[in-house]
Amino acid sequence: MSRHPLQFLEVPRRDPDKQTPEERVRHFDEIYGQYDGASAAAQAGRCLDCGNPYCEWQCPVHNFIPNWLKLIEDGKMFEAAELSHQTNSLPEICGRICPQDRLCEGACTLNGELGAVSIGNVEKYITDEAIKLGWRPDMSRVVDTGKRVGIVGAGPAGLAAADVLARSGIRPVVYDSYPQIGGLLTYGIPPFKLEKQVVEQRRKILEGMGVKFVLNTTIGRDKPFAELTAEFDAVFLGMGTYTYVRGEFAGEDLPGVHDALPYLVSNVYHTLRYKNPPLPWVNLSGKNVVVLGGGDTGMDCVRTAIRQGATSVTCAYRRDEENMPGSRREVQNSKEEGIRFLFNRQPLEIIGDSNGATGVRVIETRLGSAGTDGRRRPEPVLGTESVLPADAVIIAFGFRPSPPAWFGDSAIETLPSGKVRVASHGAHPFQTTNPKVFAGGDMVRGSDLVVTAVFEGREAAKGIASYLGV
Amino acid sequence: MTERIAQGLYDPAFERDSCGFGLIANLDDIPSHWVVSTAISALARLTHRGAVAADGKTGDGCGLLLKFPFAFLRAVGEDLGFSLGERFAVGMVFLHQDKERAAAARVLIDAALREIGLDVAGWREVPTDPSVCGEQALQTLPRIEQVFVNAPAGMQRGRFNRRLFLARRRAEKRLGDGDAYIASLSSVTLSYKGMIMPGVLTDFYPDLLDERLESSVCLFHQRFSTNTMPQWRLAQPFRFLAHNGEINTIQGNRNWAVARTKNFVSDKLDDISDLDPIVSLVGSDSSSLDNMLEVLRAGGMDVLQGMRILMPPAWQAIDDLDPDVRAFYEFFDYQLEPWDGPAGIVLTDGRYAACCLDRNGLRPARYVITEDRHITIASEIGVYDYDEKDVVSKGRLGPGEMIAVDLVNGTLLENDDIHEILKMRAPYKKWLKQGVRYLESELVDTHTAAEPMDAETLACYQKMFNLSREELHDVVAVLAQAEQEAVGSMGDDTPMAVLSSQVRSPFDYFRQQFAQVTNPPIDSLRERIVMSLQTNIGRESSLFDVGPEHAQQVVMNSPVLSQKKLRQLLSNEMFGDSNAFIDLNVDTGLSLGEALDQICAQAEAAVRDGKLILMLSDRYLKRDKLPVHALLATGAVHHHLVSIGLRCDANILVETGVARDPHHFACLIGYGATAVYPYLVYQSLHSIAQRGNLDKQQQLGRGYRRGIRKGLFKIMSKMGISSISSYRGAQLFEIVGLHSEVVERCFRGTVSRIQGANLADLLADQKALAVSAWEPREPIKQGGLLKYVHGGEYHCFNPDVVTTLQAAVRSGDYDRYKEYARLVNDRPIATLRDLMRLRAAGPAVPLTEVESVEAIMPRFDSAGMSLGALSPEAHEALAIAMNRIGARSNSGEGGEDPARYRTERVSKIKQVASGRFGVTAEYLVNAEVIQIKMAQGAKPGEGGQLPGHKVNEMIARLRFAKPGVGLISPPPHHDIYSIEDLAQLIFDLKQVNPQALVSVKLVAEPGVGTIAAGVVKAYADLITISGYDGGTGASPLTSVKYAGSPWELGLSETHQVLRGNGLRHKVRLQTDGGLKTGVDVIKAAMLGAESFGFGTAPLIALGCKYLRICHLNNCATGVATQNKVLRSEYFIGLPEMAINFFRFVAEEARQIMAELGVRTLEELIGRVDLLDLQPGVTDRQARLDLSPIVSADGLAKTAPQFCTESRNNPFDKGELAEEMLRAVLPAIESKAGGKFGFEVRNFNRSIGARLSGEIARRYGNHGMKDAPLEISLRGTAGQSFGAWNVSGLNMTLVGDANDYVGKGMAGGRIVIRPPDGACYEARETAIVGNTCLYGATGGTLFAAGTAGERFAVRNSGASVVIEGTGDHCCEYMTDGVVVVLGRTGVNFGAGMTGGFAYVLDLERDFVDRYNHELIDIHRISPESMEAHAHHLRALLTQHVALTGSEWGENILEEYRTFLPKFWLVKPKAAELGTLIETLRRAA
Repeated sequence: MSRHPLQFLEVPRRDPDKQTPEERVRHFDEIYGQYDGASAAAQAGRCLDCGNPYCEWQCPVHNFIPNWLKLIEDGKMFEAAELSHQTNSLPEICGRICPQDRLCEGACTLNGELGAVSIGNVEKYITDEAIKLGWRPDMSRVVDTGKRVGIVGAGPAGLAAADVLARSGIRPVVYDSYPQIGGLLTYGIPPFKLEKQVVEQRRKILEGMGVKFVLNTTIGRDKPFAELTAEFDAVFLGMGTYTYVRGEFAGEDLPGVHDALPYLVSNVYHTLRYKNPPLPWVNLSGKNVVVLGGGDTGMDCVRTAIRQGATSVTCAYRRDEENMPGSRREVQNSKEEGIRFLFNRQPLEIIGDSNGATGVRVIETRLGSAGTDGRRRPEPVLGTESVLPADAVIIAFGFRPSPPAWFGDSAIETLPSGKVRVASHGAHPFQTTNPKVFAGGDMVRGSDLVVTAVFEGREAAKGIASYLGV
Repeated sequence: MTERIAQGLYDPAFERDSCGFGLIANLDDIPSHWVVSTAISALARLTHRGAVAADGKTGDGCGLLLKFPFAFLRAVGEDLGFSLGERFAVGMVFLHQDKERAAAARVLIDAALREIGLDVAGWREVPTDPSVCGEQALQTLPRIEQVFVNAPAGMQRGRFNRRLFLARRRAEKRLGDGDAYIASLSSVTLSYKGMIMPGVLTDFYPDLLDERLESSVCLFHQRFSTNTMPQWRLAQPFRFLAHNGEINTIQGNRNWAVARTKNFVSDKLDDISDLDPIVSLVGSDSSSLDNMLEVLRAGGMDVLQGMRILMPPAWQAIDDLDPDVRAFYEFFDYQLEPWDGPAGIVLTDGRYAACCLDRNGLRPARYVITEDRHITIASEIGVYDYDEKDVVSKGRLGPGEMIAVDLVNGTLLENDDIHEILKMRAPYKKWLKQGVRYLESELVDTHTAAEPMDAETLACYQKMFNLSREELHDVVAVLAQAEQEAVGSMGDDTPMAVLSSQVRSPFDYFRQQFAQVTNPPIDSLRERIVMSLQTNIGRESSLFDVGPEHAQQVVMNSPVLSQKKLRQLLSNEMFGDSNAFIDLNVDTGLSLGEALDQICAQAEAAVRDGKLILMLSDRYLKRDKLPVHALLATGAVHHHLVSIGLRCDANILVETGVARDPHHFACLIGYGATAVYPYLVYQSLHSIAQRGNLDKQQQLGRGYRRGIRKGLFKIMSKMGISSISSYRGAQLFEIVGLHSEVVERCFRGTVSRIQGANLADLLADQKALAVSAWEPREPIKQGGLLKYVHGGEYHCFNPDVVTTLQAAVRSGDYDRYKEYARLVNDRPIATLRDLMRLRAAGPAVPLTEVESVEAIMPRFDSAGMSLGALSPEAHEALAIAMNRIGARSNSGEGGEDPARYRTERVSKIKQVASGRFGVTAEYLVNAEVIQIKMAQGAKPGEGGQLPGHKVNEMIARLRFAKPGVGLISPPPHHDIYSIEDLAQLIFDLKQVNPQALVSVKLVAEPGVGTIAAGVVKAYADLITISGYDGGTGASPLTSVKYAGSPWELGLSETHQVLRGNGLRHKVRLQTDGGLKTGVDVIKAAMLGAESFGFGTAPLIALGCKYLRICHLNNCATGVATQNKVLRSEYFIGLPEMAINFFRFVAEEARQIMAELGVRTLEELIGRVDLLDLQPGVTDRQARLDLSPIVSADGLAKTAPQFCTESRNNPFDKGELAEEMLRAVLPAIESKAGGKFGFEVRNFNRSIGARLSGEIARRYGNHGMKDAPLEISLRGTAGQSFGAWNVSGLNMTLVGDANDYVGKGMAGGRIVIRPPDGACYEARETAIVGNTCLYGATGGTLFAAGTAGERFAVRNSGASVVIEGTGDHCCEYMTDGVVVVLGRTGVNFGAGMTGGFAYVLDLERDFVDRYNHELIDIHRISPESMEAHAHHLRALLTQHVALTGSEWGENILEEYRTFLPKFWLVKPKAAELGTLIETLRRAA
C-alpha cells in the first residue's frame, strides 16, 4: 500500500530508449534498450492494481502481471522472476515479441491518453536482469518420476511443454530438425526483434533443468515416429504450421516473388553466418520491394528488407490500418524506418516476366459487413485499379497446418482444416486421438501468437502429467 | 401466525421489541391508589413509543407491575370466600380460552403448589372488558384469572417466595407452551398486562380503577414490537422487571446459563433440576433476563447486586473508579458474562424499586422527585402534570448507572450509594490480588516464530489451510504492517461459499450479524471506552458461595495469543499439568463425523480428568492424517461440553493454521474458543520478513495482533457488543449454505435456513487441499477471492461483463446489450437466484401488449452514492439520467448543492445517514423521497469515513465542514437506538416535509422481515432491502466479505412477514444488490419487490471499470475521485449511457414478460410460484433447500402482494403542530414575523419542525432571518423539540424538553429555561435529554440546565451554551461552538474534527474526561487569547439575558475569576489562530 496512488498521472509511460531509425536500419540487432532499476520501478509503480486486472485477463497465459509489477516496484527481482515463470515458460521472449498493445497493455485500464503500463518491457527486464544476477529455476524440490516424454518441435509450444514437464519430474527429450532450438523464435523472427542469444540463454536454462535436445533430426525422416511412441511414456507434438497461404492470383510463381518464411529464415541464416545454409540467402538490397499482408510476419519482412538495403519498401494491405492484425507497435516501428503503407489495397496479380516481377496490380477496397470471423470483409471498389512497381514481392498471408504423412499410421486424426484434433474424447487436455500423443500450439489452433503456443504447450504438459499419473 | 408461515423464512426468534417504560414509587413505601392511577396515565402519555397494529386498536402490549396490593387482594379474595392466611400470594395467570384446557391447567398449577407444600385458597376470575380489544388481540385473548395461595403458618416471606418460584417453574415445565402462562406469582408483586393500548388499560381491567387497589410502587411498560404477531404473554413487565432495549448477547447468555447450570447451586434452592433450563431459551430476551435475575435472587443475591453483575458499567475503562468497586465488578466478571445491549430497566422485588441503564447509556431515563416523596422515572420527562413548584429534584441516569429506592429504609440510593453497599460485601480486592495472574505482554515480542518452518513445509501448511498469495499479501501482511484491516472498495461480487465451485474456507459460510434499527452498533473507535477484550482462564464455581478461590484466574488483555503468551500460559503453575493436547489431525480413513466424535470424546475425557485447558491443535500435519477444520472442532467440542454440563470446567485454546483475519477469530470465539494461537500466520509473516518484503520485522506479530484486536472490536461493535466475554459463545452469525447435520453437530442454535454443504462435502474440500499440500511442485494458490484471477473464483463483475456492458451502452446497440445479458444470465451459478428458473404464467403474449419501457423505468432507483464517493460529474450524470427516464436518483449521504434543486440535476431521493451531513430543512423539503439509511450492504453495522484528501472545497461546503479535514459517519444513527426511535425520526421527517415519502434502507439478515414489519409500524412508506453484495467507496475487506445476506433471502422474508401481518399493502418494497439485467428485475419482482435499486451497474455504464480503488481517490475513470485532472480529463460518462442501460434492462424485462405471458410487472410481484428451483451443478448446490425462499405457505392468497396505499400516515396527527401552523402560517406567508404562545406536553413531538418545513419550502434555510417568529412555549416538550429548525424561527420554552432538541437545526434560536420559582438547582438539573443538536448546521441554543449523552454530536455549525452534559459531548463535531458551564461526562470530543468548545472545569479533572485522540485543550489566557475571552463573555451575556440563568450570571459577575478555569477545546489539526476566523463567522 506504499504505492503512490497518483503515480500513473504524475509519471508518464516511458519505454526504454529506442535507437533512432537511421541508426537501427543499419543492423539486425535489437532496437530497444533496457530499463534501469529505478525506471523499471517507476514504470511498474504506475500500475493501479485494478480490482479487475484486465491485463491478466487478456494475457493468453494469464500472467500475474500486477503482482510482479509490485515486486519490481519493491526491487524483488528474483521473486518477480519466480512468479513470472509460474505462468510463462518464456517470459523474456514474450516480453519482446508479444503484441502487448493488443493484449495486456491494450487491456490496461490506463491504455489511452494516460498510457498503459509498459508491461512487456518490464516483463523482459525481469527475466533478463534476474538471469544476469544468477537466478535460475529452483529445481531442488523436483523429484524424478522416472517418466520420459518425447517432444517433437523445439518451438514455443515444445519448449513450454518441456519446461513444465521438467518441473514435474518428467524428463523431456526435444527433437527438432533445425540445428538450433526455438523454431520460428530463432529462424522466423528477425533478430532485431529477438536477439538469438536470448534463445540460446533459454536453451542453457532448460538444459540446466534437465531438458535434452536432439537437433538436426527430422521425425519421420531421420527417426520414425513409431520409435518415439515406443521409447517414451508419452509424446508431445509442437510442430507448428508451415504451409504458406497463397494469394491464388496470377504471377505468384514469378522470379522475384518470395514467400515470407523462407525469406526471413534465409536472412537469419545469413545473419548468424551459417556456413552451409539449407536455404539460399535472399538479398533485396537495392530493390523496390512490395510486401503483401498486414500481419506481424509482414512487418518482419518489410523491416528485414529495409535493413538489407532495399531502395523502397511498401506494405500493401487489403483492410484499413485500424483492422490490421499486426502489432501497432511494429507498424509504428516500420513507419519510422521508412516503410510506406498502402491500406485498402487488394492484390489482383503480380506483373512481370521470366526476368522477374515488375509490379503488383492492386484494387482499392472498402470495408463491408463482418464475416464469420467477426472481421469486416474488404470489398473491391470498381475502377480503382493501379499498379505498384516492384522488383521483389513478398507474400505474407500466413500459414496453414502441414500435417506430416505419418499421422495416419499413428492414429492421429486431424480436422478438415488440417489442425490436429485434441481432447475430443475429453480424457486429458490436448490429448490427440492417439492417447499417448499430445499436441499443442499452431498445429492445433492454427497459426497464432507465440504466447498462445506457450500456453498450449504448458497446458498440454499438465495434461501429460495427469495422463501419466504424476 | 407463527405456525402459519413456518415454512417460509420467518422465525419467532427474530422478534425484537422496544418501548417506553417507567416507574412511580413512594419513597416511604406508603401505598396509594394515586401511584397506580398516575402510573397508568403516565403510560398513556408514552403511547407514541409503542405501536398499533393494522386494526388500529391492538397494541403491542402494555402493563403494570405493582408492589403487592395487599389490602385490595385480601378484600377481593375474602369477597369470594377464600380463606386467606396472614401471608398469602397471588398469581396472575393467562389460561386458555377453552374451558377444559383452562381447567386442566388450573389442576396442574394447583398440584405443583400443593406438592411443594403450599395451599391454594382459590381462583378468582379477573374482571375484564374484552370489548376494548382490537381484532388481533381478541384472537389470542386468554382467560385471565388469579390464583390465591396461602403460606403455611410460620413460613418466612423469603422462603415462601422461593417455594412459589419453584412451584411456578415446575408448573411451567409441565404446562409446556401454550396452555397457560403465569404472568406473576408472588407475595410481593402482581402484574396486570395485555395486548391493548395504554388508554384502555383501566377499561380492560376494572380492578385498576378500584380505589382500594393501593400500591407503593408501580412499574409500567409500553411495548413496540417489530412485528404484529405479539402474544399476550409477551407484554411487559415480567415478574421483576420491565426492559426498554435489547440484549444483543442473548444467544450467548442463554448458552452460558445452560453451561453453568451447576454453578447456580445454592442451599436456598432445593433442587436445581427444577431450574433446568435456568433461563427461558425461547421468548424475548427481556424475559430471559428476568428469569436470570429471578434465579440470582432465589439463590440469595439481592436485586441490586444481581442487576449490577448482569449489567455492569464499563468498569474496565473508567479511570477514576473506586478500586474496591472495580474489584467487585472484576471478581464477578470471572464468574458471569455481562448481558449486553441497549437497556433501560425498571425493576422491583418489593424490597427495592430501581432503575438502571446499560454501559453505553443507549436508552433514556429521566426522573423527577416531588415534595410528596414520590419518585417518577421514565423514558421521558413530563409523563404526568406535576406542579413544577413541587419538584424537589430532577435528573437523569447516566450510562451504566443505577438508582434505587430502599423501600424499607425510605431512602433513595444513588449510583455511588449502591456501589458503597456492594463493595463492602466481601474483600474482593484482596482475593483478586491473591488469585489473579496477569499474562504480561512484552513491548516487543521478537519471536514471531521461534521455530521457523522451512520453505517447503511452510508451503505445505499454506496449501493445506488454503492460504493464497492474495490473502497472505492483501490481508495478513496488511494487518501486520498497518496494524489494521486492509481497506477496499466496491462490493463482494463472488458467489457465496456454498455456490462456489472452488474450495472455500468453512468460515466463508458464516455471515456476521449486525445491529440495525432495533439496536445500535457501537463506534468501537471513538467509543473505545466501553470496549474490552479481556479474557480470563480458570475454573468457575458456585455464584452464591463466593470466596477467594473464585479469583484463581489467569487474565490476558486479548484472546489472540502470541507465542510467548501461549508458553507463559502453558507453563503457569495453575495449568502446567492441567492441559490436554487434542490433535485435530485425524486418520484419513475417518469420516468427518467420526473424527468429530473422536475429538469430542478426547475433550470430555480430559475435562473429566480435571484438565483446565483443552488445546485443540492442527499444528502437526502428517501425510496419513487430515486436519479437521478448527472451527468445526471448536463448535463441536463446545456444544458437547455444554450438553454434558462440563463446559465451564475447562477452557478451549485453539492452535490453528486456519485463523487469519478478524472474522476467523470472531467465528472461533463466537463458537466457544477461549483464545486462539494463529501459528501459521506467524510462520508466514516470519517468512515474508525473512525475504525482506516487510519492514519492521520485529514488530510484525504485535502489529498483526493489534490489527486483529481492532477487527474483533469492529465485529463485536457491529452487533452492539462491547465485551468479548459476552461475545464468546454467542454465535452471532447467520450460516448460509451448511447442511443441518453440520449445524446441529457444531453450531447448534445458529440461524441457517437453506441447507447446503454437509460433512462429506467439507471433508472432500480438505482432501482436495491435502493433495496439493503434499505436492511440492505445486505453488501456493494465487487467490482470486478479492480480485478476479483467471481460473479462480467467479466474479459477477468480471472483465468480460464490464467490457461488454460498456460496449453496449456506448453504442446504444441492444444486440450488444444482449451479449452482456447473456454473459450475466448464463453465468456459472453465483447467486441464489441463479438456481431459480422462470416459469411462464400462461401462453406468451405479443410484445406490443406488454407495458412499455417508459412504464417500467419509474420502478428503478439509483442506489445511494454520495458526492464524496463519486465525482460531481458522475453524480450529476446519474441524476440527469434518472430524471430523464422518470425514475429517481439518490443523493447519498453528504447533502446536495442547492443549485441542483428544482433542476434536471436534482436527486429526488435525499438520503439521511448517520453523519447527517448536509441534512437541513431546505434539503429535506426538496425531496420526493427521504431515505433513512440504516445500514449499507457492503458494510452493515459500520460507519464510514471520508478521508481528508477527498474533502475539497465543494464537499466541505455541502457538508458544512472544512476542506482537508476527514469526516466521520458514525456506525449508529445517534437518534436511533431502537425501533421507537426510528418511528420518532420518521415522524420528524414527516413533520418537516409532509409531502415526501419516507424510505428506510435495511440490509438483509435473519429477521430483517420482522424489523421491516416494525418499520412499517413506525410509518415508513418505502423499504429497501439490500443484499450483501452492495458496493462501497471504502470499507475494510472483511466487512465487505462477511456481513449481510443475499437479498433473495431478505426480500423474500420481508415479503412473507409483511403479508403475514397484513402490512404489505402499506409499504413499497425495493431491493438492491448486484442487479444487472432484466432477468434480475423479474426475479426480484417475483420474490416480492415492486421497485429496484441499481448501484454498480449504472456506474459501469458511466465508465467505471470496477477497479476497486475508490478509497484511494485515484480512480482512473474519473468516476470515484475528486481529483480535478481525473474528473475533467478522464471521465467519459454521459447521462445517455446510463439511460441506455436502464432502457435495455427494461426492454429485456418486457421481452421476458411477453414470454411469461404477462403484460405488466405488477402481475409478477410476489409470484414465487413462477420460480422453479434448480438442483445446481455441484453436490452442495444440490443439497441446498431454497423452498423457504419461494414459500407462500400459510399466507392467504388474498393477502396483497404490493403496496396499495399512497402513504403510511402516523397515528400521531401532530395536532399541536398543526394548530401552531394554522396560527403562524399567515405570518410566514407574508414574511411578517410575530409573537405566539402555546402550551406543550411530552407527547407533543417534533415541535417546530412543521413550521421550519413551511419556512424552508418558501424561503430556504435562511430566507426568513430578518422577520423572525418568536414562539413562547410552556411545559415539557416531547422529543425532537426544534428539529430541523431554520432561521426566522425562535422558540423559547419555559419548562424542559426530552431527547433530540435541535436535531438538524440550520438556523434560528432555541431557548430553554426552568420556570420561575423552581426550587431545584437548575445548573445541576437535566433540562434537555440525549443527542441534542445532532447534525445541526447552524443556529443557537441556550439552555439553563444540563443535557444528556452525546450533546452536540456531529454538530457542524450551531452555537450553544449549556450548563453541564453527559458522556460523549461534541462527538464527531465538525464545526460550531459549544460552551459547557459545568461538568461534562467522559469521552468528550471523540472524533471531533472541527469547531471548538469552552468547558468550565471547576473540579480540575476535565483532562481525564476528554478523548485525547483528535483534540487538545488550552487555557484561555487573557493576553494571548483576548478574542476568545471576549467571545465567551458575549455568549455568556446572551445566555443570561435569554434564560435568566443564575449560574451564568454568577460567572459573569466573577468573570476574571472563572476565566482561568475554562478550557478552550479544539481539534489538534486546527491552529489556534484560525479559530479567530471561525469567531468572526460566528459573530
